[in-house]
Amino acid sequence: MIGLDGVRKDTARAVVEASSHWREDQLACWKNACEKETLPRAKWAMENFIKNAEAADRNHSALCDDTGTPHPFLEIGDEAVIPPGLLAAIEEGIRDGLNDLPARPMGVKGNELERISQCRGMYEEPGMLMPAPTQIRRIPGSKIRLTVLMLGGGPEIRSKTQPIFHMHSLDHVIDEMIKWAVPQVAKLGCQPCTLSFGLGRTACEASSLSLEAMKDGRYDVQSEIEQRITDAVNSSGIGPIGLGGRSSVLATFIKIGNMRASGFRVVSMRPNCCMEIRKGSCEWETKEGGAV
Amino acid sequence: MKKINVPCRDEALDLKAGDMVELTGKIYCGRDAVLPHVVKMAEEGTLEEAGIHMEGAVIFHTAVSCAGIAPTTTSKPEIEGSIVPLSRKGAKFHLGKGLISGGTVQGLKENHAYFLVTPPVAALLTAAMSSCRAVLFPEFGMEAFYEITVKDFPAIVAVADGETIFPNQEET
Repeated sequence: MIGLDGVRKDTARAVVEASSHWREDQLACWKNACEKETLPRAKWAMENFIKNAEAADRNHSALCDDTGTPHPFLEIGDEAVIPPGLLAAIEEGIRDGLNDLPARPMGVKGNELERISQCRGMYEEPGMLMPAPTQIRRIPGSKIRLTVLMLGGGPEIRSKTQPIFHMHSLDHVIDEMIKWAVPQVAKLGCQPCTLSFGLGRTACEASSLSLEAMKDGRYDVQSEIEQRITDAVNSSGIGPIGLGGRSSVLATFIKIGNMRASGFRVVSMRPNCCMEIRKGSCEWETKEGGAV
Repeated sequence: MKKINVPCRDEALDLKAGDMVELTGKIYCGRDAVLPHVVKMAEEGTLEEAGIHMEGAVIFHTAVSCAGIAPTTTSKPEIEGSIVPLSRKGAKFHLGKGLISGGTVQGLKENHAYFLVTPPVAALLTAAMSSCRAVLFPEFGMEAFYEITVKDFPAIVAVADGETIFPNQEET
């Protein structure tokens, strides 16, 4: 039987890992791009990013001072037994993880109207930053898997969710996605970035799919369309922190959902900053006698 | 690499876009919440009596928290809107990240001030900081106006004398 104490501890560890650690595929991609960068100031910026990731990993400290908003993503096996209190334990674990890191104290006080203008100030405790609503997907088997993604503020200023009229052409949709990406990547300030796209039937669905693309995305596994978008944006020469150079985008992650008969597809794009994708995972077997 | 002690009152300072610099000394930190208040105090002439000296100052666009320091996006309206007014009052360096508008580039030129950028590498930048204290509006928490002490803080001159190093400046 899955133990809620274990869920809480594992979740806290996932938050710290997400916030302080680049995964192997991510670090390898960065090192490869840095090696190929020839513009000295662009190379200087990239070398600093890599040194920063190594320092954060060594100290289990934050990669960026904007430690982001936690987005829990839960995958539940069709045969999994879900214990009462699972979501509460995950929320408590996220709070613990934010305090352990420590994350930047960003939780805004007040009722729903007061929170808009920040007129009541902020909580001093990092863990009072509440997570975003949990996304849920089903998977085969009896396990429950949690991924916590930490999403920073800068990319949200440059994100976009809108319909694209597809004109019955995949190329047309991809070209529009590239047109969206170039000016937003240029303004981001945190390049090289990655791009995540969700394509769905509604704005809500497309945003959710964009998050799923971040969850699943690997820097060393790129589809032809993902590579095409990456290459197209890189040809604009924006470069690391906008200083020029060949590395503006390191990878693109796309998740395409179900479609309905219509003349448009809703596309949700997020240019993820240089510190992202920040994600940490844990998994629990829920079968009787299974390991927690 | 040019080493600069800050605050910098060197009238002969002649930096070019693309120069790499290291800052050592005291710098101010603020972002969206506090900078409009700092501008208001500067225009009312009350900064000096509060112990804030703008002449030659560095204004770093960052929060200061237990998660460290790192530049936030400068083009946010409340941040970019502080650059020209504080330059008029003597601020020499504005340190952040990302593109700024043509109007701000011109305003910096008219006031002999610079825009510097640095990578948002919190783990490294925080190691360059030896002290910090909230000097205005401490009730804003991480968004208060801070004075921090840094040594060999790395940055690159992004805008100087109307010139920028951003290849995509036209995107603004």
